Amino acid sequence: MVRLGGERWLALGPYLDTAMDMSLDERAAWLATLQAGDPLLAADLETLLEEHDLLRDEGFLEGGPAATLGPASLEGTSVGHYTLTALIGQGGMGAVWLGRRNDGRFDARVAVKLLNIALVGRTGEERFRREGAILARLTHPHIAHLMDAGVVSSQQPYLVLEYVEGETIDRYCDNHALDTESRVRLFLDVLDAVAHAHANLVVHRDLKPSNVLVSADGQVKLLDFGIAKLLTDDAGIAESTMLTRDGGWALTPEFAAPEQITGGQVTTATDIYSLGVLLYLLLSGAHPTADHLRSPADLMRAIVETEPPRLSDAVVTRVRAGSPAPADRAGSADKLRRALRGDLETIVAKALKKHPLERYSSASAFGDDLRRYLDRQPISARPDTVAYRTARFVQRNRAAVALAALVLLSLLAGLAGTITQTRRATRQAALAVAERARADRQRDFAMRQLSRAEAINDLNSFVLSDAAPSGRAFTVGDLLARAERIVARQHAEAGENRAEMLIAIGRQYQAQDQEREARRLLGTAYQVASTVSDRVVRAKAACALAGAIAGAGEFQRAETLIRTSLADLPDEPQVALHRVFCLLRGSEVAREGGEYSSRIQRVQEARRLLAESGFASPVLEMRTAMDLAESYRMAGRNRDASHAFEEATARLTALGRSETETAGTLLNNWGLAVYALGQPLEADRLFRRAIAISSADTAERGVSPMLLNNLARTLRELSRLDEAKAYAERAYDAAMRAGNENVINQSLMMRATIYRQLGDVKRAQNMLSELEPRWRRMMPAGNMAFASLASEQAVLAQTAGDLRAATAASDRAIAIAEASPQRIDYLPAILLRRSNIDLQSDRLQDARLRAETALRMERDAGEAGVFSSRIGRAHLALGRALQAEGRIGDAHAAFRSAAEHLAPSLGADHPDTREARRRAAETAGS
Amino acid sequence: MDPTIASLIASADRDDRSAAAALFAALYSELHTMAKRQLDRGPSITLSATTLLHETYLDISRRDQANFPDRPRFMAYAARVMRSVIIDYVRNRRAQKRGGLFELTSIGTDVADTIGDDRELGRISDALDELASLQPPLAQIVDLKFFCGFSFGEIAAMRGVSERTIQRQWEKARIFLHRALRDEKQPSFPE
Repeated sequence: MVRLGGERWLALGPYLDTAMDMSLDERAAWLATLQAGDPLLAADLETLLEEHDLLRDEGFLEGGPAATLGPASLEGTSVGHYTLTALIGQGGMGAVWLGRRNDGRFDARVAVKLLNIALVGRTGEERFRREGAILARLTHPHIAHLMDAGVVSSQQPYLVLEYVEGETIDRYCDNHALDTESRVRLFLDVLDAVAHAHANLVVHRDLKPSNVLVSADGQVKLLDFGIAKLLTDDAGIAESTMLTRDGGWALTPEFAAPEQITGGQVTTATDIYSLGVLLYLLLSGAHPTADHLRSPADLMRAIVETEPPRLSDAVVTRVRAGSPAPADRAGSADKLRRALRGDLETIVAKALKKHPLERYSSASAFGDDLRRYLDRQPISARPDTVAYRTARFVQRNRAAVALAALVLLSLLAGLAGTITQTRRATRQAALAVAERARADRQRDFAMRQLSRAEAINDLNSFVLSDAAPSGRAFTVGDLLARAERIVARQHAEAGENRAEMLIAIGRQYQAQDQEREARRLLGTAYQVASTVSDRVVRAKAACALAGAIAGAGEFQRAETLIRTSLADLPDEPQVALHRVFCLLRGSEVAREGGEYSSRIQRVQEARRLLAESGFASPVLEMRTAMDLAESYRMAGRNRDASHAFEEATARLTALGRSETETAGTLLNNWGLAVYALGQPLEADRLFRRAIAISSADTAERGVSPMLLNNLARTLRELSRLDEAKAYAERAYDAAMRAGNENVINQSLMMRATIYRQLGDVKRAQNMLSELEPRWRRMMPAGNMAFASLASEQAVLAQTAGDLRAATAASDRAIAIAEASPQRIDYLPAILLRRSNIDLQSDRLQDARLRAETALRMERDAGEAGVFSSRIGRAHLALGRALQAEGRIGDAHAAFRSAAEHLAPSLGADHPDTREARRRAAETAGS
Repeated sequence: MDPTIASLIASADRDDRSAAAALFAALYSELHTMAKRQLDRGPSITLSATTLLHETYLDISRRDQANFPDRPRFMAYAARVMRSVIIDYVRNRRAQKRGGLFELTSIGTDVADTIGDDRELGRISDALDELASLQPPLAQIVDLKFFCGFSFGEIAAMRGVSERTIQRQWEKARIFLHRALRDEKQPSFPE
């Protein structure tokens, strides 16, 4: 038969069906029988069946269209003693090919894995071969044999493994409707294999259903044993369970043990844990911690912190596609629960202990207890005490989990713009509920897409997984350095991916305040990105770089990068999140350059885009709110700033993050804005909260000296001098310890002022004398600091009775302040002091004029409807001047206004408030 | 008035030829648009055909709302269309050298020599059409597994049969295709 006509095909069909279900022997016999009756038919069938066998061997069409498109050039090439025949998969590690032996010797089919790793030089190669040789000695009926491990001339490492065909163990159990006991027995085979490997000092590290296959005749085979170890490089990196689960969430560490997530030691106990998860799944149908809608970060936290529910409680009654529900196969959910209760669940729980030392010490011990269960003998494991369960203690390795999540999130965040763009809601008839559901689905979809970016997977898994060589915990710096090394070695990576990864790592360096490293890496990212045709990636890299160099004095260049990128980015909704990224970096750049309005505009636009995009990220929203608040404050729009700070704080609290450093900074800056608005009472509250938060975690030493000084200033304003003094001293001490020049000086100034008010003129003078040379060293003569200094000198002289010196010093202060760009903030107060000196010097008109000027300035700068101590004081000074001039009516009005402002902002008991009220009463009735 | 996809499927089910053609065109357009939309998101997203189909299904079923046929029936038609989308893409890519529409699953980046590959796919497609004229379910399995990337388990669930059944059918289809491909390369002798 040459051409298989349609009719012939249909006729042969049923025969083929029968034949394909037979074993080779049965087939031969059957064909022989057929031969006798219808030789032509038998001949045709035999030919077809032979082709069938051949095609199966060759894996014809097994690879999907990618195989025909992809590295077709590799087909037929030789790797070691084998020839590659068909591409059967692309895993996280690299490509997997079906292979046949070169020399035609009869052999089982093999799987040849071409690994994605770049080995490090000769030592890398030697080690690889050596490790491979060790693994090759691992022979066991239930372990897929590693037959060869080598390196092809082109530096391509490869592994040759026994090719195994079968179903994954969970599928197998379901498809064959195995009952509980049978599942346990099958599992014992798995344990057998693991025990053997452990005895040979090989840890699997990646046990999961897809690595445990069961062939048609019920033979268990474990795949990829010890492969993870093979991929160890010099620094001790190993592949982890973060890698691809086909078609699923590549970043789901479902089968990872807690220590794999926190970066602890990976030992045989790690395998025990994974086996525990597997058994849990096989028996109950559910996974101990994975809830299919959980994000990877949540999942990791759950694995480390949350005790899984009892096995019997976890029985799943829903049906998985095509297979009987676990409950169904046991007859009923209750029946299954009863079967699982007691010893079985105790055994599983022991394997799943968070702490490695609490688990079974070996796979054999695990197996022994299972055998005892099967024989109805008492088991060795003890059930958990009530205390243990209810206490839910688990090493609160928060830092470590947070660390892992940090790297993960940064990578996710870095790519968030790429992936999680939701569609514009253009359809009207959508209910809110439906919208939420759709957003969830899209996010899931997006997460799956994310998982397909294999380069990122690999990176992340390498970075996160590992046994720290000396058992010490990782620092973030370690992780980042490692991540960098890995990226450097992945030459084959597409430009876009590399750029994205470099950006993510660079940003992390920034977050860790390692500015120089960040600049270096982001510079590289920019170079890599410039070779890529995707302008979105180019823009992103440019903006990331801009954000890093602006602070290093390259403001112009940074600004150019930002502008160009913003212009380059298309205006489409899909690109919105990238735009947001660039705008936020742009706002940082604007901040460095003192371009306040540009900064505000960029942050506002970023917030608008964020809101429109429907991308829900509470963290990002909180940060941009903070950014906006700071922008307003720097631009002097303190009222707007205060509102924005309020919003940011609310968001921060909602995130459950009210006890962190971020909160401390936020409250401090809010306090400054409010202080500038002339509301010291409010500022006092905010600064105290900030201090409380900072000292909660790290004790006194953790509180910023600047913050302490800010509170001191506020307390002085409120005339609580003793307290102010105490805080100013603390600020000084803290600043000295930290070597913070700026705050040392500020606190000196503060202390001088306070001492003066307390009457200790000598001390005050000494401090000012100490302060002046320090400031002269740091700043140019026209700096506002010298105006403050001179003004303070003036008041000091006034206190000492030397009005002429006071006037001269005040002249100096005013001259400097008037010429300074910050005159609005400081000149009014200086003028008020001068007004006081004028009063005492009997220059009544001057006193009034100066007070009027100060009031006008404060009013212009102030914000409508806000009660301000600054405005209040100006009114008070004006009132005094008017009263001295004899204009009682006008004075009264001024005093009343003063009281109106001072009472709410300084408090009713404040000396100034009382004075204002008193004088208002005095001048009443004229 | 544009008939909805649901109604086209209903008509095609009843062997309405013109409806089938219209359905093909409509689905093609949907898949194509969906793919473009995903890919415009940024740097080389690797896209899978199954996801694409899934998302398209969700999208259309939401629009056409009530009475939209279930997933298996949708997939039966969509898988065939997907085949064309893929083949067209490959042809297009060959013409464009690099940087085509999308990467189907993650193909290695050094895809230097893809010459002749789309022709191979085209031949497979022709052979499939031939098989479809004889035994449509078999051809469908090839579309679903080979072009769309569904697993045996997923296909079995769609059909409501066991995985083993699907696997056998697949193997049969494969024999047919291999034959057809091989014979195409040789001149065919008269029988």
